[in-house]
Amino acid sequence: MIKLNNISKSFKSINALNDVCLEIQEGEFFGLLGPNGAGKTTLMNILIGYLYADSGSVYINGEEVKRTELKFRSELGFVPQSVALYGDLTAEENLKFFGSLYNIDSSVLQNNIKDYLNAVGLYERRKDTVKNFSGGMKRRLNLITALLHNPKVLLCDEPTVGVDPQSRNAIFDFLEKLNREGLTIVYTTHYMEEAERLCNRVAIIDNGNIIAAGTTDELLKLLPEKGHIFVSINNLPDLFPDLNRFGNAIKNQDKYEIKLNEGINLSAFVKVLEEKSIGTENLILQKPTLEELFLHLTGRRLRD
Amino acid sequence: MRIILQLIRKDFIHFFKDKMALSLTFIVPMVLIALFGAVFGGAGDIEKLALGFVNQSTSSVAKRIENTLDTTKTFRLIKTFTNDKGEIVSYDSNSIKNAVISGRFSAAIVLPEDAFTDTSSSLKMKYYYDPKNDMESQIIEGVLQQTIMQSIPEVFTQSLNKKSEIALGKDSSKKFNSEINKVVSKYFNVDTADVFGSMNTGKSKQDSGNSGINIFDNMLNMEKHQLVGKNVANSMATRNVGGWAMMFLLFSLSAAARSLFEEKQTGVMIRLLSSPVTRTQILWSKYLYNMLIGIVQLTVLFLGGMLLFKIDIFSNFFNLLLVIIASSVACTAFGMFLASFTKTSAQANGLGTLLILTMSAVGGSWFPVSMMPEAIQFFSRFTITYWSIEGFIAVLWRGWGFFEILPYLGMLLGIGLVVNIISYINFRRGNIFKN
Repeated sequence: MIKLNNISKSFKSINALNDVCLEIQEGEFFGLLGPNGAGKTTLMNILIGYLYADSGSVYINGEEVKRTELKFRSELGFVPQSVALYGDLTAEENLKFFGSLYNIDSSVLQNNIKDYLNAVGLYERRKDTVKNFSGGMKRRLNLITALLHNPKVLLCDEPTVGVDPQSRNAIFDFLEKLNREGLTIVYTTHYMEEAERLCNRVAIIDNGNIIAAGTTDELLKLLPEKGHIFVSINNLPDLFPDLNRFGNAIKNQDKYEIKLNEGINLSAFVKVLEEKSIGTENLILQKPTLEELFLHLTGRRLRD
Repeated sequence: MRIILQLIRKDFIHFFKDKMALSLTFIVPMVLIALFGAVFGGAGDIEKLALGFVNQSTSSVAKRIENTLDTTKTFRLIKTFTNDKGEIVSYDSNSIKNAVISGRFSAAIVLPEDAFTDTSSSLKMKYYYDPKNDMESQIIEGVLQQTIMQSIPEVFTQSLNKKSEIALGKDSSKKFNSEINKVVSKYFNVDTADVFGSMNTGKSKQDSGNSGINIFDNMLNMEKHQLVGKNVANSMATRNVGGWAMMFLLFSLSAAARSLFEEKQTGVMIRLLSSPVTRTQILWSKYLYNMLIGIVQLTVLFLGGMLLFKIDIFSNFFNLLLVIIASSVACTAFGMFLASFTKTSAQANGLGTLLILTMSAVGGSWFPVSMMPEAIQFFSRFTITYWSIEGFIAVLWRGWGFFEILPYLGMLLGIGLVVNIISYINFRRGNIFKN
């Protein structure tokens, strides 16, 4: 549905994007995961036509997008990183205004406004000025403003920045529902939890380069270790010789952390511990995360 | 104390990093002080005021008056003009009236053929004026009377002697003067030679110039003719409302243009540009909106002037509306220029305030341009304020029609066009639309 071919963009001496190639399929919930300054917003801005790429092309449904062409913009809905609304207008006035920029029938727009306000629990507050809304309410309104013209693709640029956990979950639920209904979503974030929860496929971006892309499972296969096991028990015995057979073991105060090697036999591991009178209740198994993958690929943490 | 010093140090670092704050603190006030000083005459004497002059008399008295006015520090006598054929010709009594009516200068003096004859007991002159600027009119009239009055005593004592010689004969006249001299010396206890001398020359030792004015008041027969604005109900408000309205219009339109920065800062701009809206459409909408606000604001201010000061805006309303529209076009262009030229709302605010105050001072919102130094008068022609004020005076004060106000409309629209082109180029280069 969306294809990016060798997109490069620089700002003076800073290379924001280097030969970025991506393909997003219809109906996908696609995540763009990377730390601040990685190039996520620049890529979004090129997708919506706000910025020119220095080189490369963007295709939507097989057709190349020129920045001056407006026809593609009706197919995209964009949720900016900031709350891009007029604070002194009411929620309804904001929605009417932004909706009116698209060529849609006024009755359709009116219905959409009502439906989406209801969907995010803001219908009762529609006559209130936005500046009096809480942060979470503003974010929800910011999100539905991008949906009024029934876009085929929703582009969300870190739409939950600064939102409380409750509102964030409400937004996630809403986005998941939209995706289930067939909306293609491209979602940028620097929270790996968000990417892991929401996205079918994720591209990891750092310093303007896509360093990995695929489903979460595909990406995690890139890690040499296949998970962590924490062994926690009072009067911890010396287990290094036994544990190092299964992976890299580190002793930390009263617990061991073992980064499991690929292809280990977990039952053999459990058996070894049982021989030392350590039951499974003393074990915590942790799956590898995208955070670890990022650390593995870049040597840095996502939020460094 | 160490903490306080650290906090002070931090503020200094911020201050020196903010170039706009630095310039607003030091450079801008200095520029404004220099500019206002020059505008209000602090840099030297008030500029010589233009005074039309026609001398149709052949008398020596009229010539003397002309010479006196020619050498005064206050006036610059204008006696000729270039006609349609490109020839330089002298003004006559009709053409000089037209020059005043058309605003070429605010006042003119005509000394008629019979300004002063051997049998005259007073000096005749015609004074034509257009009091479009109170201050200027008062200064011209005051200095003119003072200058002429200072010349009159001398002229008239000689004239009286001449009259007595004609009436009594030369010997009898001399004898008469001598007897008068003795009487005056006796009763007023002054030197006989001094009194006799003053009768011949018109000057006494005590004569300091102004002392003669009261005595000779009746000897100046000045016919005053107000050529423009005679029927204007509240002349002062009519003349001044345009200047003040323009200053407030510039402030409000530069503020409106700054909303582009707010839209960028809040992310609304990027949302707009992600929808089927072009940059050009955004700029046009902003431009037209501001222009409409400007038209409404000026119209409301003039309506307020009508209600409060009885300014007659409806007898020439169509032409007033044209000047209002042209002024709004130019002022809106100025606001857009500010937004295109600066990088932040704060910068636009600082630069806008500087330019608006400068334009208001130089363009004549506060002080008649005709009284400013010549260099400032030259620069005033590059300001929107100047052409708007002149346009408003043309329609409200002079009651001019469409063709007569075309130059003002042309200048305002021309300034608007040029500034818009510059702004458009600046917008294309970035800032507002750049990430």
